[in-house]
Order: sequence, then structure tokens, then C-alpha cells
Amino acid sequence: MASNQATCDGSLSLIDFQIAANDFAEKWKKFNSAYPEWLWIDCSNRLGFAAHGVIDGYLSLQNVFIRRSLEEERDEGGCNDDEEPFDNATLVCIVPVMMEINIISMSYTALRTGFQCSTSMYRIPEHPYLNRPWYMLHPCGTSEWMKLLLVGVDNSMATNGTERYMISWFSVVGQVFGLKLPFEMLKSIG
Amino acid sequence: MASDSPIASRKVVVHLRATGDAPILKQAKFKIAGTDKFSKVIDFLRRQLHRETLFVYVNSAFSPSPDELVNDLYDNFGFDGKLVVNYACSMAWG
Repeated sequence: MASNQATCDGSLSLIDFQIAANDFAEKWKKFNSAYPEWLWIDCSNRLGFAAHGVIDGYLSLQNVFIRRSLEEERDEGGCNDDEEPFDNATLVCIVPVMMEINIISMSYTALRTGFQCSTSMYRIPEHPYLNRPWYMLHPCGTSEWMKLLLVGVDNSMATNGTERYMISWFSVVGQVFGLKLPFEMLKSIG
Repeated sequence: MASDSPIASRKVVVHLRATGDAPILKQAKFKIAGTDKFSKVIDFLRRQLHRETLFVYVNSAFSPSPDELVNDLYDNFGFDGKLVVNYACSMAWG
């Protein structure tokens, strides 16, 4: 059952993430058929989560062309640990996160485990499920600007807020990865 | 209100709304060519506010790509003869 967390503090619970992710994937398929589909990768059996009744997984988008400028931005810096030293804060951000290396994925649980915070926009942490380094868009601050995008959401309609969350969120982070949402999809949250 | 001239040459009224601690502009509404890209609105705000980092979004719901045409945004998300563009100064990634 969806909570109204998404409409209150700009964050998203794990259950709400799954609801929102599935809704996002369906709308993407409907309105953005020229692109490959987002696929839900089920990881429920990872580390025995299934035994506790926890559904776990992430959305994956494969075979998409990433614009060159993204690569250039990475080359220009932001990921160099020598230039951008980590601080020692370990944060728990309960928001979705976008990760990319050939496959783009939207995951959630990586953020619940905490990670070192960097001043850079990109991080290269280990993917929570694939266990190898991936580019990750730093999630700090996400809940702050998500609050702005959820201002008009009626808290009594929690499901609406949850479904709207992913589309509003993707309208921002998708740009960094060269992915735009079709207007029809944006209008669906209006 | 957007003029009734042909879409290619029409002007669109953009209403700039400050959110959070962003300064309010003396002139919140202005006309812009519909054929201009949304990046022109962003650049205008940057110049007016003297800030490089801004969070600019439409209808309090989503952030358009800078290369979207103002005409397209108005046609899809405009109402009451204007396109409402919100802006905030806090946009942190880490």
C-alpha cells in the first residue's frame, strides 16, 4: 500500500519505490515506444530477502544511446578522488538513484546501506545488485528538490503522489543521462 | 496571453514564480519567442539572479529539458494564456 511519504518530505519508501517504478515502466512503454522498455529485475532472493517477505529489485534500461556530452562531462572531472576528496559522512538517503554503465538502472536499496558522501555530482560506487562499479548520480539533495516538484500533490491521494514521484524525479535526473520524457508522460501527472 | 499569430512566430507569456528562498523578480512576466528554447528562460534567470545554479521547473511538477521549444511547452503545459515557470536557488547534487 502506498504511503504519503512521497508527498511530505520528498523521499520515497521501498514499497512506494516499487509501486512507482512499475507505474513508470508501464507509462514509459505506453508513451515512449521508440525506446527499449524499462525492465524490473527481481532480486528478491538476494541475501535471503525472500524469506522475510521483502520484494527487492531495480529497473533496468538497456541498449540505449548515451549522448557524447555525458561522457565528456565525466572526463572533465567530478569523479577524481584526488580533486574531490570524500568527506567522512555516511548518509542514508531514501530516494531513488540512477546508475549507468551501458545499462541504466534505477535502484533503491543501495541508498539504505549508506555510503561516503562526495562533493562531486557523480560517484562510482558498487552497484547494489551487480557488484561492480557503476556511475551513479549523487542523490544528496534529491529530497529537497523533489519536495518542490511535489508541492501540488494532494496528501490524501497518496498513490497519485507516489506515481507522480518517479516521473517528476526522472524529468530531472534523466537529463543528466541524455534521456527525456515525452510530453504525454509528463502530462499524465498533471 | 500567447498571441494568435502563426505558431512559428508567436510570442509566449512566461510567468516566473520564485519558490523557497529565491528572490522575486521585479517583473515576473515577460514575452518570449515561441521558437526559442527553454534554455533561454534559464539563462535569463541566471543573469537576473546572478546565480549559475538554479532549479527551474514547470507547473510545480517537472523540469523540462533546456532544448525544449517554448512553443511546445506552452502548447502542452500552458494555461490561462501563459507558461508558469518556477525557480529555486537550491539545487544540490552532493
